[in-house]
Order: sequence, then structure tokens, then C-alpha cells
Amino acid sequence: MAPLSASGRRAAILATAVLLTTSACAGNAAGKPGDGPIPVASILDLTGPLSIYGTPKSNVAKLAVDDINASGGVLGRKLKLVAYDSQSQTDKNVEYAGQAATKDEAAVVMGGITSASREAMRPALQRTRTLYFYNSLYEGGVCDRNQVITGETASQFLDPLINYAAANLGKKMYVVAADYNYGRISTQWIQKYAAQYGAKVVGTDFVSLDSGDFGAVLNNIQREAPDVVVSVLVGSNHVPFYREFAAKGLGAKIKIVSPSFGLGNEQEILSPAEAKGIVTSYNYYQELDNPANKAFREKYAAAYGAKHAYITDLAVSEWNGWHLWAEAVRKAGSLDRDKVLKVIESGTLSIDSPSGTIKVDGPTHHVTEDITLATVNDKRGFDLLKTFPAQPPQYEKTVCDLVRNPTLNRAFTPA
Amino acid sequence: MPLDYLANAGTNILFDVATLVLVSLGLSIVFGMMGVINMAHGEFIMIGAFTVVLAVRQGVPLWAAMVAGPVVTGLVGVVTERLLIRRLYGKRIEGTLLATFGLGLILQQGATLLLGSSPEGIATPLGSFSLGRYSIGWYSLVIVAAALALVGLVLLLFLRTRYGLLARATMQNRAMAANLGIDTSRINMLTFGLGSALAGAAGALLAPVVAVVPTMGIPLISSAFITVVLGGPAVVTGTAASAGLLGLVRQVVTLLSTPLLGTAALLVAATVILRLLPGGISGRYRRTTL
Amino acid sequence: MTFTRLVSSTPGILVITAVAALAAGAGSIAQVQQLTTWTVYGLLALSLVLVWGKAGIFSFAQGALFGIGAYAYGVAGANLLPVTGESFSALLVGAVCGGLAAALIGYFVFYGRLGELPVAVVTLAFSLLLLTVMSSLSDPSYRIGVAVLGGYNGLGAPVLTAPGAPDGLTIPATFYLVVGVTALVAVGLRRLLGRPFGRIVLATARNEGRTELMGFDPRRVRLQAFTLGGVVAGLAGALYAASALYVDPSVFGLAQSALVVVWVLVGGRGSLLGGLAGVAMIEPLTSALGGSGGDLGPIILGAVLIVMVLLLPSGVVPALISLVRRRRAGHADEAAPVLAVEGPPPLPLDGRPPATLATHDLVKRFGGLLATDHVSLEFEPTRAHSIVGPNGAGKSTLFSLLVGANRPTEGTVWLDGADITRRSTFQRARLGLGIKRQVPSVYLDSTVLENLWVCAYADCRSVPESDRRAREMADWLGLSGRSADLAAELAHGHRQLLEIGMVLAARPRVVLLDEPTAGMTREETHLIAEVVRTLAAYCTVVVVEHDMEFIREVGAPVTVLHKGAVFAQGTIDEIRADERVLSIYLGRAHVEAS
Repeated sequence: MAPLSASGRRAAILATAVLLTTSACAGNAAGKPGDGPIPVASILDLTGPLSIYGTPKSNVAKLAVDDINASGGVLGRKLKLVAYDSQSQTDKNVEYAGQAATKDEAAVVMGGITSASREAMRPALQRTRTLYFYNSLYEGGVCDRNQVITGETASQFLDPLINYAAANLGKKMYVVAADYNYGRISTQWIQKYAAQYGAKVVGTDFVSLDSGDFGAVLNNIQREAPDVVVSVLVGSNHVPFYREFAAKGLGAKIKIVSPSFGLGNEQEILSPAEAKGIVTSYNYYQELDNPANKAFREKYAAAYGAKHAYITDLAVSEWNGWHLWAEAVRKAGSLDRDKVLKVIESGTLSIDSPSGTIKVDGPTHHVTEDITLATVNDKRGFDLLKTFPAQPPQYEKTVCDLVRNPTLNRAFTPA
Repeated sequence: MPLDYLANAGTNILFDVATLVLVSLGLSIVFGMMGVINMAHGEFIMIGAFTVVLAVRQGVPLWAAMVAGPVVTGLVGVVTERLLIRRLYGKRIEGTLLATFGLGLILQQGATLLLGSSPEGIATPLGSFSLGRYSIGWYSLVIVAAALALVGLVLLLFLRTRYGLLARATMQNRAMAANLGIDTSRINMLTFGLGSALAGAAGALLAPVVAVVPTMGIPLISSAFITVVLGGPAVVTGTAASAGLLGLVRQVVTLLSTPLLGTAALLVAATVILRLLPGGISGRYRRTTL
Repeated sequence: MTFTRLVSSTPGILVITAVAALAAGAGSIAQVQQLTTWTVYGLLALSLVLVWGKAGIFSFAQGALFGIGAYAYGVAGANLLPVTGESFSALLVGAVCGGLAAALIGYFVFYGRLGELPVAVVTLAFSLLLLTVMSSLSDPSYRIGVAVLGGYNGLGAPVLTAPGAPDGLTIPATFYLVVGVTALVAVGLRRLLGRPFGRIVLATARNEGRTELMGFDPRRVRLQAFTLGGVVAGLAGALYAASALYVDPSVFGLAQSALVVVWVLVGGRGSLLGGLAGVAMIEPLTSALGGSGGDLGPIILGAVLIVMVLLLPSGVVPALISLVRRRRAGHADEAAPVLAVEGPPPLPLDGRPPATLATHDLVKRFGGLLATDHVSLEFEPTRAHSIVGPNGAGKSTLFSLLVGANRPTEGTVWLDGADITRRSTFQRARLGLGIKRQVPSVYLDSTVLENLWVCAYADCRSVPESDRRAREMADWLGLSGRSADLAAELAHGHRQLLEIGMVLAARPRVVLLDEPTAGMTREETHLIAEVVRTLAAYCTVVVVEHDMEFIREVGAPVTVLHKGAVFAQGTIDEIRADERVLSIYLGRAHVEAS
């Protein structure tokens, strides 16, 4: 061929560049854990629409690790927290889980906020046999020996919430839910509990997490004229729902109960006039009155300033997760996954947390904890209504026994 | 179909169209008159919204804060033009696209660092009225009126003021305008400032109806981009027509089926119309139409 | 063979890649997994270099095509694995699906002749459409075969499995496979771009109008390049799913589409290496920033982008290459050759019989304006013809009707007895119409030899023949000393001459020249007249001119147009003696003077 383009030199550069990049990347081998600090990893969304959850969670995770280190660490060694920002993209969770497990050789990986990210991370961490803590409230039913779940499940928080709504607010319910597994499965639970308490779900709408357009949903709600709207909306894109709901003056006739409101500090983004009266049920509220919470809030204010944002239930689950793991390691006397899991499954592990006593339920790898009903007040916080002490993970106990059947690896749903 | 349903549907359509006009008008002017694709447009909207939120938090009355939104954003735009955009004239269009994309990242994360990921917002003012089974917020009608007013104001600005005359001359023939002694550099600065101020106005007006968070610009930029290109060369009327068409399609399909299909219909409509009219809706208008 | 040559040969690249991959594959599992992802991204960036850098199509769809490939792999793999015991064939399904989707969009936008920005919008809308739809399919009832699509939850993809090895490929083995595929695709694309197909793709991107005048269908060329880009993006997506074992709808989002553009912009869209280099620079940076949980991550990335645009707008790799070139080409400044064309053009013009071009009652109206008024003309073979007339006489409109840029309102155009009224420009070019427009239209970013080569290839479709013709034509034009220079570096007269050479290299039967002497000096005009006279011996030549001196020199029969209609016909001397012609020229001059 004619010498029309002399690309030979360029090709040589190409080959050399491939060589340089690949070998440069291979160069920095990971340090083996020895007597130095113990690497542990946290993977949370610190940017993008999920950062309304991730940022407070990350604050508390750092505080918890500092707290553990301040009390001498575990096994005489300090913890070294490697924090990843999964950028509100589920595939980043998978990527960073792999890195945390193999590059950092983390003793434990905690993180994932949405159920989608948890389900994506679980197989990756099973493959590397890296212990995984999921510290978020969720729809329940996940049964996996490699995983410990320290957040509430549907049978813990939805049961009292729907019961309360049916008894006090009305029997005609409408569900608006985020369109992914948390929203979908929670809706199944809501239907089940509604039926159980004599209420009726007259309509459901699923809204994509990327969508912030609620015109049609609000039309449907007005057409059906329910007594109660159960909102399972997630992420900052969904906040306008509450705003438009209030702007149309619908709050006068229809009450909102939600197993997700406030977890992203929606009551701060919204004004008190818009959010007041929404009923939620979680394990932790900043207003809980107990010594552990008092101490925790002082530490938090010292670290993040007195004018910090409301501390959410999702964030405190991080505190519970890290302390439960540290306690389990102390009891096991080892970082080894199987030895730590033995302590988890013994049913004796419990801590005194800002949210009350948290006790691990051995066979299910979930926790028994207090659940409180609370309603948004006009000071961008919550008024506590009623506490149900020591609620076990009811549903999980009926389907999941990892002591008897350690290879069980499934997400159970009520439908 | 019952009357209350139709009236409510009509408001939904008007509100959607008005929102599209608001978020795309500034982008359209900057693109149509300067050939700059401002990927940080969504973040400029965010700045306008935060100006209102922060001002209200300081005790400024809401309506005064809404005036501050476009002013602050317009100034940010002028500074951006002087420091960044000015260095990219005459270069390929991707240059500004990439640089403003980078600027958007910086503004978004800067806002997160300064204000946190869930800053305190403000409520929708004015309350609501009932129409049969449906209730409509007064403020959504304010948005519709404001969109109309802004379109009118911008047309007046271009047709009746000295700046408008010079800006149109510069748009049509930059070299000739420069030869005639027009300070095109200054015109560019003002035009970019105007586009930014309009983004700020959109943010200010939307602040009481959306969640004002640092990431609020992300979902806005793609629909604004589609609206602008579909609108074609007439920067004001073309964009308004395109917003009208897209909002109508989206809301009608949404009302008849689901929001998912509504969004899908908008995207399909934009694609089909561009196939039929590659120059956009205003592609066959007279060249000098705004 | 020198060392450089050895290293840059295809086997050389493959060997070096293999060595590098082996070295990298020895890293920790996390590093290997990470490198696999980056290499897959590199493959994706290559698809955009092809589509945007080479074919000139600004596409936001590469991320979406990648996503289609990933989902296709996940769905096909899950369904195939129980049946065939392997999932390698699902990689092919991914590539094919990417290609099919690209072909669909491509047919839609290119055959609709959409401009650059509308194409960008349609590709963006396509991505967002997929994002909207795919993230709303989380109900378990949305499934294809055994694969549940999962909506926002994402889709689990099976590990790459070979028959008889049910455990599937290990992470390092997957890495080697990905590196191998990427290297093969890169080498394949490089070769393809050196072949006629690649050159025509480049030519179309650089000057669509000229390429169409040479008889290539730009819509088809673009469609082919875009489809190929879709295949590469789809393959990258399939490999991604096969190594990450997971895919979710965020691949269809604006962030992902924009990221591909950012890689290619930073690396340099003009070269394949640029695409790879962009990934190699951006991804480790974002990974390091995101991995450390740094709040400043997006700010640093944003600042890097802005600095890049201000300092290295064409990208890192082209900047480096031009630096090297400038060093080497420091003393290439030879005196420009004097224009000189001697003897007959070096072409077997007699191999193709010249044809008659004719019009019958041609009418063109623009609104109320009658731009062409019942023109019936016949241009006989082996002669030069000229069309003259004052400004506004309708010369350009007539020319555009002859070349097919405009369709007549009434009447017909005939080439060698065949009705070509409805044929498009490239079809007319294929039938032997050689066209040179008034404004020089050459490939400014190609070398002189490349310019001539594409045109020769348009006719003969043979690489050695085109090589030979391009060289001989450059010799004949007196440009052989500058054959490696870019056309952009030529002076105006040389460019005009080059374009005539390009038209001739395609061995036309009829040559149409629109004001070939515009902007030329007296000597240059003289030379062009000589060329036209020479050409007339071999084919039909039609010249539209208003330079009467030039027409006289050519000595061709003259047709005078006035107000769109044929006003007078005859030899140049007859026309010059015609008072009426003089008056329309003078009348015009009179009006202009007042």
C-alpha cells in the first residue's frame, strides 16, 4: 500500500503505552495485614441522589470507628477505615466491594444503602468470603450466612406502622413506592398487613428513582381519595412528592405514613408546614431519651458541630453495625470470618446503643431491637408516639435458620 | 370525561410546558446566539434555587429572594464567561461542552461541601383551590404566568433595546458586527449573563416546588438540551414551541397511561420530529426570527 | 527490519500486549478485576473514536449500545448456559445486538440526513429512553426466558463458561481474554482504517460534499461505520457483564454517555490510541478520588477537564504526535512549485466512452422566482461547452440541477440517453459525472496523495490501481513534491488544481466545472484553460464561467443565460459581436454602477 499514512510510529507508541499502563497498575501490591492497623471498609453513596442517605451514614461510620479505636481498638489493634464513595451507582458498589475484599483485604465490609446495591454486592463478597454487614432498614427476608443485617426489617417496622394507620387514620390506603426491590417488596408487605388489620389498599403507583414527576400520581390519589397514603419513596428525586402533596392542600384530608420518610432528612429539605404530621416507625430517633443516646449525640456534635443535620435511623444503624462487629471480634478473639460468625450465631451478642439494646438473633443474622412510632413535628424533628420494645425479626425467624442450614442463600418475599 | 378531570389535566399540561420553557430558555439563548453548549446549565439553575433558599433563611421575603436568584446567577454567568467561556470562542463546540461539564461537576460538589446533601428548603406558597375532586396549587399557575412573562420580556429585550439589536447583529454575522464597531466581546459577556440569569430565574421559581439539593440540575439538563435542539434556530419562539409540544405529548400520554410511558413518548416524539424536521421546529422560519 | 517496525507490526503489538497482560495479571485479584474493567472501557472508547473521531458522528449512544451488549450477554448467557453448557456465544449475541441497535438508529438518523446536533440529541434520547424503560422493569414478571430483567435492581450475568468447564473462567483468565479481544479489535480497526473502507469513512467525515460528488453514498458510509461502532460497543458491554457479573440501568444514563465522550476528548478523538489513553488517564484518577472517599473528587476531575480543554483542546495523544511531527518536519519548507501541467492526463480516459449530457425543458421555481426557465441544452461528447451570463442569470441554479443538488420543478436531465432527473448526486457521479464546484472542495485534513487516492478508488475500486493513479496524477499536476503535505497547506491555485485532478482521477465521462478560475491569477487561469482544452479531447466538458477571457481561451461554443432562460448561443466571436448580449452585460454593469 502507498505510504499514505505513516502509522507505524503511532502503533509503537500504542504498544508501549499499553505496556506501561498495565505494568504500572500491577506494581502496587497490597500490604498484608500483620500487626499494624486492621483494614476495614465502608462503601456508601457520598455523591449523587443517594448522598442524602450516604453522607450522614458515612459521618456516623467514621465516628463509630474512631470510637472503637478510642477504646483501644479490637484485639489490641486499631482499625483503619477505607471509605469508598459508590456515587449513587449500583455497579460502583460491586467494583468497590471487590477492591475492599482483595486489594485492601478488609476484615469486614459494611455498606450498600439501597436493596439493589446490597443484592449486587452480596455475591461479590460471598465469592471472596469477606464478612459483610448491611446496616440499613430494608424489606426483610434476606438469608445469607456471609451477611449480618443490623437494620430493621418489614415485619419489625411496617407491622406497627400499618397497624397504627389502620386503627387511627383510616382504612382506605394508597401506596406510592420507589420502583425497585425495596419498594416492590415493601408494597407486598403493606398489602399483607393492611388486610391483617382490616384496611384496604385501593391503589399502588411505582415511581422510577430517576423520576421527579408526580403530577400523574397525585391525580390518581385525588381520584381514589384514600384516607392514608403509604409512601415508600426513596432518594432526593422523590422529595417533590411531599411538597406537591402539601401545595395542593391534600394533607387536610389524607394522612401520610412512611417507612422511608426522614431517612434522607426529608423533614429538613421540606418546610415544617409541609412535613408535619407524617408518621414513621424506626429504631432510632434523635429524640430518644437514654444515656447511650445522650453520650452519642455529644460525640456527634463534637465531631460535626452543634448545628449538624438531624441524625437519621439509617446513620445510627452504622454505629450499631460497627460496634456489633467489634464486640463479636473481641468475643471471638479473632478476625477470622467463621469464628466471628460463631459469635454472631451464638445468640449472646448484644450492645447498648443510642437506639436501645440491640441483640443479634443468631439463626437469622438479623437483630432484635426497639421500634418507635413517631410523627414529624414543626421543628424539623420528630415527636415520639409509642415504643415497642425488643421486636424480633418476626418474618425472618419463620423462614431463615442459618445455624441449621448454613448454605441457605436466598431472599424470601411474602408473595 | 368529567369537567374537573379535564381542567386538572389542563393545568398539569400547562405546568409541565412552563417548567420546560423555564429550564431551557437560558440554554437556548446561550446556544443559539453564541454556539455554546452550557452543560453547567443545570447547576446554574441550582445556584438560582439555592440563592432563594439561603436568602429566605436569612429572613428575606420570598418574592424579594426570587429576584435575587437571577441576579446572583447572572453574575456567576458573567464571571464564568470572562474566565472560561471567552477562551473557547472559535474553537470546536465540544470544547465548551467539556469545559462546562467540568464546571458543572465543580459547582455541584462545591454546593454539597458548602451546604450539605440535604439543606433546608422552603414551602410552596399561596395554598390551593378545589376543582371538583381535584385540588390545584395556586403557585403552579404562578409558574405558568412567569414562564409566559419571561418569554415576553426576552422577546422585548431582543426586539426593543439597543443591546438586543447589537446581540442579534452579532449572532447573524460576528465578523461584520465587529467591523461595524460593535464590542462583540461585551455582547458575548452580556448574552451569557442573560442566559445564566434565565437559568437562575428558573431555579428561583422552581425552588418552592422541587427539592433544592446540589444534584437537582442533573435530571433537568437532558430535557433542556432536547427541547433546545428540537426548537431549532429561533431561540425564543422555537424553544417555546418545542417545550409546548413536548410537554403536551408527555402529559397527555401520562394522563392516559403512566408517567413512564409519558417520558418515553416525549423522547420518541423528539426523535420523530427531528427526523422529519432536521433543522428543528423553527428550522423553516425566516432566519432572523427569534 | 528496524526495531520500531518490528514493535509496530501487528504480531509485535500482540506480543507486547501479551507480555504486558501477563505482567499485570500477576497482580492481586482486585487489581486484575479493576484492570479488566478499564480495558473493557478502553474497548468502548475505541468504538467512539471510530464513530466520532474517524466517521465524524457525535454520538451520545455509545454508552447505551454498551448497555445493550451487557444486557444481551446477561439474558442470552442465562438462557444458553443450561442448554449449551457455555456462555461464550452470549458474547457474540452482545456484539450483534449492539450492532443491530446501532444500525437501527443509524438508518433513522443518516437516511434522514440529520445534522450533527440533531444526531447527538437523537442518540441522547435513545439512551434516556432505555434508561427510563429499563429502570422501570423491576417487577419480577418482566423476564426473557429464565433471565429476570430486574429494573433498577439490575441483572446478574453468568460468568464466562466454556463447554466442559462448568466453573467458568477465573478472574485472571477473563482479564487475558478481555485484553486479547481489545488488542485484536484495536489492531483490526487500525488495519481497517488503512483500507479503502476506512479511507472513505475518513473522507466522508472530512468533506461530505466532496465525497458524495465522487459517487460515494455518505448515508451508507456513515451507517456502516456507526454499525461497526455499535458492534464494538456491544462487545465491550458483553465483556463488561461477563467480568462484573452484573449490569444495571445506570449504563444508559447521561453520566455514562458523557463519560465515554470525556475519555475520548481527553485522550484525543483523532486516534485509536487516544481513546485508550483517555481511559488510562481518567479512570485511575476517578477511581483514586472515589476510592479514598475524597469530597474533592468531582472538583478535581472537573478542574482537570477544564485545564485539558484550555491547554490541550485536541487531546493528549494528538498533541504528543504533533509535537513529534513538528520536530521532524522542521526543514520541510521547500519552495512551492510553479503551476505546470504538461501533456494529456495520465488516465485511461479512452477506456470509458464520453457521454452526452442534456436537459429538456428544465424549470426551477423558488417560490415566485423563476430561476430556470425552460432550458433545453445538449452537451455533445469530446467537446468543451461553456455557459455564461451576468450575475443572477441562473448559472448556479442550472449547475445545481445538473449535479443533482436541487430537483427541477419541471423537465428532465439526461445522461447518455438515460433519464437521471431523479438520481441523487452520488448516483450521477457513479454514472460518470465529474463535478467541481466553485468553492474549492478538497479534503483539507488529508494529504495531497490521499485526496487523489480516494477519488481514483471511487472509480476503479482497486487499491494498487488507485495508488498508481494517485501518484501519476500528482506528477501530472506538478504536485508530486508536495504529495505528503496536507491539502490545507496548499495555496488557493494549487487547491483548485488539485480538485480538478481529483475529478479526473475518478475517470469521468462528463466533467462539470463551476467557475474553475475563481480567485486565480492570470497565469493560473491560462493553465486551467489549457487543461480544459486537453480534457475536451477525451470527455465532455461543461464550464460555467463569467470570465469571458477564459472562455475565449478555451474556445468552446457558448450558451448565454439571462433571467434563467437561454438567451443566445454561438461561438465566442459571435457572442461577442451580439449587441443584445453586450447590453445585458452592460445593463447589469450600469445598474451596479448606479
